[in-house]
Amino acid sequence: MKTVIKTKDLTKIYNSSVAPVKAVNNVSLEFGEGEFTAIVGPSGSGKTTFLNLIGGLDKPTEGQVIIDDTDISNMKESKLFDFRLKNIGFVFQSYNLIPVLTAKENVSFIMLLQNQAKEAMEKRAVEMLEQVGLSDKIDVRPSKLSGGQQQRVAVARALASKPKFVLADEPTANLDTESAFNLLDIMSRLNKEENITLIFSTHDQRVIDRARRIITLVDGAVSKDEAFDR
Amino acid sequence: MKTLLKLAWRNLWRKKRRTFITVSSVMFAVVLAIAMMSLIEGTRELFVESVVSQTTGHLQIQDVMYHDEPSMDHTLEYGEEVYSTLEKHSDLIDYTVPRIQGFCLGAKDMGTRGVFVMGIIPGKENRMNNLSSRMVEGEMFSDNDDYAVIAEGVANLLELSIGDTIVLIGQGFQGMSAAGKFKVGGIIEFPMPEQNNTMVYLPLQEAQWFFAAPERLTNLIIMAENESNINTLAQNLSDDLDSEWFAVKTYEELMPDVLQAFETRDAQVRLFSWILYIVAGFGIFGTIIMMIHERLREFGILLSIGLKRAQLAIICLFETLFISVIGVLSGIVVGFPIMYWLNKNPIQVGDDLAEVMLDMGFEPVMPFSIAPDIFIYQATTIFIIAIVVGLYPVRKVFKLDMISAARK
Repeated sequence: MKTVIKTKDLTKIYNSSVAPVKAVNNVSLEFGEGEFTAIVGPSGSGKTTFLNLIGGLDKPTEGQVIIDDTDISNMKESKLFDFRLKNIGFVFQSYNLIPVLTAKENVSFIMLLQNQAKEAMEKRAVEMLEQVGLSDKIDVRPSKLSGGQQQRVAVARALASKPKFVLADEPTANLDTESAFNLLDIMSRLNKEENITLIFSTHDQRVIDRARRIITLVDGAVSKDEAFDR
Repeated sequence: MKTLLKLAWRNLWRKKRRTFITVSSVMFAVVLAIAMMSLIEGTRELFVESVVSQTTGHLQIQDVMYHDEPSMDHTLEYGEEVYSTLEKHSDLIDYTVPRIQGFCLGAKDMGTRGVFVMGIIPGKENRMNNLSSRMVEGEMFSDNDDYAVIAEGVANLLELSIGDTIVLIGQGFQGMSAAGKFKVGGIIEFPMPEQNNTMVYLPLQEAQWFFAAPERLTNLIIMAENESNINTLAQNLSDDLDSEWFAVKTYEELMPDVLQAFETRDAQVRLFSWILYIVAGFGIFGTIIMMIHERLREFGILLSIGLKRAQLAIICLFETLFISVIGVLSGIVVGFPIMYWLNKNPIQVGDDLAEVMLDMGFEPVMPFSIAPDIFIYQATTIFIIAIVVGLYPVRKVFKLDMISAARK
């Protein structure tokens, strides 16, 4: 299996006013193409910081993040913006759709920033909305969608541009059980169909139960890395 | 860019009421500023029009020394050089009004009075300022007559009436004494006491003989075909006339003190209108601050998913510009018809003030101008303020820590 993400001795220290905090401590991991991985651990264990580091949203204090042979640890901000745009999809806890755009426009947004052709872009957006079961909500703005529906649009947005991997920071935290299962079914199916690497940070047992790999972080360091055949 | 514009436009209408209030504040500031500037410009136009038509004309050709030392010794020769120069530029000239004028002593019996004698061609003077319409008794002379028309105040002070004789004594050209007696053939009334108590009119040729200055003028007034060509005409005439003998002066050069007084008043009004702009600017700024701070999390997310800081800054800048442009356009749309109506139907001022204005030779109205400059100035000023205000969100976006913003 081809390695998509590789971290080497990844460390992030926050200099708080009281004492420096090691949010991520010397983490070396590899993530293969098409993996469905859950990063778990108690609050403050460094899950989100780790995701931010491998997503290029934050700079490590030490160590490297290598994505497809490209070290993004010390990349300039302008290049990092382009890199993220082309290679990484994000799903956040609180949906975070653009409120003034319709579902289709939200899904098209990243492809639009990538300057994709209009027709292909719209076709792909509609296709993705169909895949997440929202073909009847194409022209609806986020305020008219339920939380679960908004998160499905967010998933469609993250996957529409066919990124190398998708980072999802507690995507089911704000969803009821039915919506959460529904979303996980969709993500799991898309993971298999599109062979996109999915990495979740989560507390949610429903997500953990679906993951084929579970990495447990404690105090910023990897305490367990288990693989499951699901 | 189209997408960024679309986003900015839609963002504006997320909170319709707030946008409406901000746009309204800009609109009212623009309408008020337009009204003030329109009144100021209207007053200035009325004043200039009045002074130009009553006194200076658009331009004057004078002897080179006359402006600094107005005496009969500094009259100009109204001869071939002047004629040919005027002919050369006749396409820019509407008409000319020749005058010879000077202070004299007017007397009747034992009474004497300082008077201002002006030799004129009545037809040309009427075209410029409709002088004959001010006649209250007798009639205006024609070019070949030899009698005087005097102002009502002079007539009262010297107890002159139609048919009486006024004796004039003054200084003529090159040390000659100017002395003559003229029958009073008409009495004219001026609203300004300064004019009403001093003016004595003689036919031009008669005045030239009186001042011993035949074929000479103190000033040759020129009315331009088009007001916008005054400076060009002045330059052309200056270029063609011998600068050793002749000077060409525009009305602005002939009354610099008065125009300076207007400039001072304009500056005060501009200062007040800038206060309005600042109030409007803070209105926009307040809205923008709220719009930015309530969306910091969204900004963090947008930057995370791939929107560049410059693109986000453009969205924010366009939001500011949209508010300002809508406000300014609404202000102009509301303000222009009001100013247009006031321009066509000027407000009549009250009795006391009307009397003062009449005394000063002005129509007793509050004139409003609809010069395009006024509206362009408002639009440009608010636009510049919007750009300045718009720099705040731009700076904010470029300094934004996207992780902490996304967590808000």
